[in-house]
Amino acid sequence: MRRPLDASRLGRWALDGVAALSLGFILLPLALVIWLAFFRQEIPSFPPEGYSLRWFGAVFNHRSFVGGFLLSLQVGVAATAVGLALAVPASLAIARRRFRGRAPVNTLLLMPLVVPGVVLGTSIYVFQIESEIATGWPLLGSTYGLVAAHVLIVIPWAVRLVTASLAGFDPTVEEAAKNLGAGPWTTFRRVTLPAIRPGIVAGAMFGFVMSFGNLEMSLFLVGAGRTTLPIAILQYLEWKIDPTVAAASVMQIALIGAAMLVTDRYVKISQVV
Amino acid sequence: MAQLELRDLSKRYGEHYAVRSVSLDVADGEFLVLLGPSGCGKTTTLRMIAGFVEPSGGSARIGGVDVTYLPPWRRNTGMVFQSYALFPHMTVAENVAFGLEMRKLDKSETAARSAEALRLVRLEGYSERLPRQLSGGQQQRVALARALAIRPDVLLLDEPLSNLDAKLREEVRIEIRELQRQLGLTTVMVTHDQEEALTVADRLVVMADGEIRQIGSQRDLYERPADRFVAGFVGRSTFLDGHVAAPDAFETAGGLRLASLTQGISGPASLALRPERLTLGPTNALDNRLPGRVEFVSYLGAVLELHVRLSPADRVVVQMPNRGDAAVPKVGDAVEVGWPREAGLVFAGQGNPAIERENQNVEA
Amino acid sequence: MRSVAAVEGRSNQRFGAAGLVGPATIYVAIGILVPLAILFRYSLNQFVPGRFMVDALTLENYVKFFTDAYYTGVLWRTVRVAFATTAICLLMGFPLAYVLARTRTRRKNLLIMLVVLPLFVGNAVRAAGWMVAFGNRGLLNASLMGTGAIPQPLEIMFTETAVIIGITAVNLPFMVLTLQSVIEGIDRSVEEAAFSLGANPWRMARRVLFPLAMPGILAGTILTFILAMNAYATPVLLGGPRFQMMGPLVYSQFVQQNNWPFGGAIAFILMIATLILTAAANLMVQRRYRI
Ligand SMILES: Nc1ncnc2c1ncn2[C@@H]1O[C@H](COP(=O)(O)OP(=O)(O)OP(=O)(O)O)[C@@H](O)[C@H]1O
Ligand SMILES: [Mg+2]
Repeated sequence: MRRPLDASRLGRWALDGVAALSLGFILLPLALVIWLAFFRQEIPSFPPEGYSLRWFGAVFNHRSFVGGFLLSLQVGVAATAVGLALAVPASLAIARRRFRGRAPVNTLLLMPLVVPGVVLGTSIYVFQIESEIATGWPLLGSTYGLVAAHVLIVIPWAVRLVTASLAGFDPTVEEAAKNLGAGPWTTFRRVTLPAIRPGIVAGAMFGFVMSFGNLEMSLFLVGAGRTTLPIAILQYLEWKIDPTVAAASVMQIALIGAAMLVTDRYVKISQVV
Repeated sequence: MAQLELRDLSKRYGEHYAVRSVSLDVADGEFLVLLGPSGCGKTTTLRMIAGFVEPSGGSARIGGVDVTYLPPWRRNTGMVFQSYALFPHMTVAENVAFGLEMRKLDKSETAARSAEALRLVRLEGYSERLPRQLSGGQQQRVALARALAIRPDVLLLDEPLSNLDAKLREEVRIEIRELQRQLGLTTVMVTHDQEEALTVADRLVVMADGEIRQIGSQRDLYERPADRFVAGFVGRSTFLDGHVAAPDAFETAGGLRLASLTQGISGPASLALRPERLTLGPTNALDNRLPGRVEFVSYLGAVLELHVRLSPADRVVVQMPNRGDAAVPKVGDAVEVGWPREAGLVFAGQGNPAIERENQNVEA
Repeated sequence: MRSVAAVEGRSNQRFGAAGLVGPATIYVAIGILVPLAILFRYSLNQFVPGRFMVDALTLENYVKFFTDAYYTGVLWRTVRVAFATTAICLLMGFPLAYVLARTRTRRKNLLIMLVVLPLFVGNAVRAAGWMVAFGNRGLLNASLMGTGAIPQPLEIMFTETAVIIGITAVNLPFMVLTLQSVIEGIDRSVEEAAFSLGANPWRMARRVLFPLAMPGILAGTILTFILAMNAYATPVLLGGPRFQMMGPLVYSQFVQQNNWPFGGAIAFILMIATLILTAAANLMVQRRYRI
């Protein structure tokens, strides 16, 4: 007897179909941008008149893209480094110690994830103005100001991922190390750190990518003529869409895709998001 | 309640057969146990009966109706899962009533039948609790009540007791058996606990590598194992490697010539000996009488177990009742071991299949 | 002796916890709470054209927002778009999340990465993709007109439809990932138990899967709703200059008009509206599903 084509099998197909549709819907805009980057003509009309690679060269003639990329990279790396330095010890305490105020501290550290980007941007903008007035130090529009703000978006991701990686870590392993004669520092370095390394790698990657791609908050904080890459892309798109901006986007997609693949070797992305 | 027939049921994952050509008949009201080492396809077989796994070939009939490709919700099988799979957001009563609701029974009948099911498993007072407020044993009984409430044609149990502690396990398995008999339920249970299998089953099925090796009563499997695997898996056997030297003689690798029933086998073979069928001490009346030296003694309480070396290549395990009258042999003592020729079973092939399997599993 | 040592050990730990968690906590508190307080204070100031911001303690910025039909219209449109996109995200996201959660093969990691990648790429780039699709000579119009289905190009660019499609695509990964992690925690055998008791897939979903996934549904809905309320790049690029939503409005008041008090007030209205609507949804769901 052959498998009949019944309602339950159709149901399964329908489910898979809708799932595939959703995935396609998520990926479609990226696919279109990638497609456009290879058009020969400048106007995004269909069908394309032919294909060319020249727009990837054209990207480098745009000061705002090149400068934006460098600024984003610089800010992302710095913010990730500072953010991790603050977040990793905090995660250790949150995951492993029982202290008063643990829950509110955790909520506070995750708060930058839920405060809307536009609100975060405006409030940090006025804060930097006020501190400029108070200290006379030109913070607003400087790279320092931008990094300081981006640290705020790195911290919640790092805290989330490092505490998650510690949740699966059996504390008796540390006790075993101490029982075998390791001091607190040795125990941390030889036992705890290797165990949470995947969480730190994932936290660094997510923090960097979130900083690199941040738009709403940075919009308020960049100085005149010095923008990050996402803002440069946005401002270009407000004016027009053409293969040059698509090529710039493709380079960003490629960079982030590569970062994900590298991270995935250390920690399965499906287990940390 | 109905009878269950499986014909050549198979399940293939890629090139690998999880279950291959399983044919079985379970009579109305019979308690059948599937027994076998880990990964041999017991769960897969059960899940094909329940409809969770679509067979790659063969057919399944329940009460004469072909259900091979019927989805699980259109078969009337009651399943008890190893993890119990209680609905965590529903009370005990709601859990038990679920299947009746799906059958659109009216309210009063649903209530009556779920109360009846809970009474059967002696959980009347617990109907408003949530599953997480119950002990493991109680959760297990709710899972059973939930499966019984729908009055299933076939009751399917996948290692239902493996999450309980040893003491409780013994109690619950007797309860399940009594309920099953009382309700006349056709039942298939999966386990890899031999004692559990032997206690509750009407008949047993021994599986290995996705295939059925033997079907029979406890006694059939123990006294007349179909092959070397069953002899090693059901109960215990020591295997002596060697070959058939004459129609009535088996010669071990260590050169011992033993009187045996060789059943027409020739060439390389092994001789399986049950430890409790061997006798220690003056063994005048027996067909085989061999001197040996004690290498290892386990004092197990009711019995003593001795490992006795018969030759550089041959060692047997002897079990003797602990009567308290004789002196316990010590390591190094010279002893005499004997057995009647019927106590030894000769199988083609060599080695201890059960142990080989275990080693494979460890490596894998 | 032993108890003294134990107490010492604990107080030692307590000090350690403060030392570990203190710097991050102080940083975030100063970086978020203080700015929000300053912004709120600004929103009570006055804006005098030509004189910029004047210190005051007045609610007139809030009054101005709620008495001007233009601004309430923007708020209402934002809420409408947020509801629509959140509903679509839930409908489209659940099947994908379910399939991902129940996939056990190596393909799973790849699929998850495909969901995560767009999330990382940023909103402007994804809006650009829709611009390619929706323009007058874009992919959609070109293929529809090429097949003769329509005589005139459709006006999709710079409409509410375009913005809803764009925001839905932006938020869908968040919904999918939130749901997926919750569904993964639901024991597969619970679903099978429902099937074996006679529930067909639809009834199983309604009685078992949805109630058990409710925490994820709630979390995903709240997250996507907040993101939609505060969307910036998508409405700017796909809605055009005439399609105003709250996020762009804050920016234009703040940076382009330099009206900080009013911009601050709008930012707070946006934040409060988001919080109220999320809390309301939270309560409704909790009452219905006793979680
Ligand atoms: N979905 C699957 N995909 C691929 N292989 C599978 C799948 N399910 C089971 N198998 C394989 O089929 C074989 C039989 O599995 P099954 O779960 O039936 O064993 P079992 O007898 O129940 O074992 P255990 O006693 O450990 O529960 C195993 O080798 C297993 O790896
Ligand atoms: Mg199994």
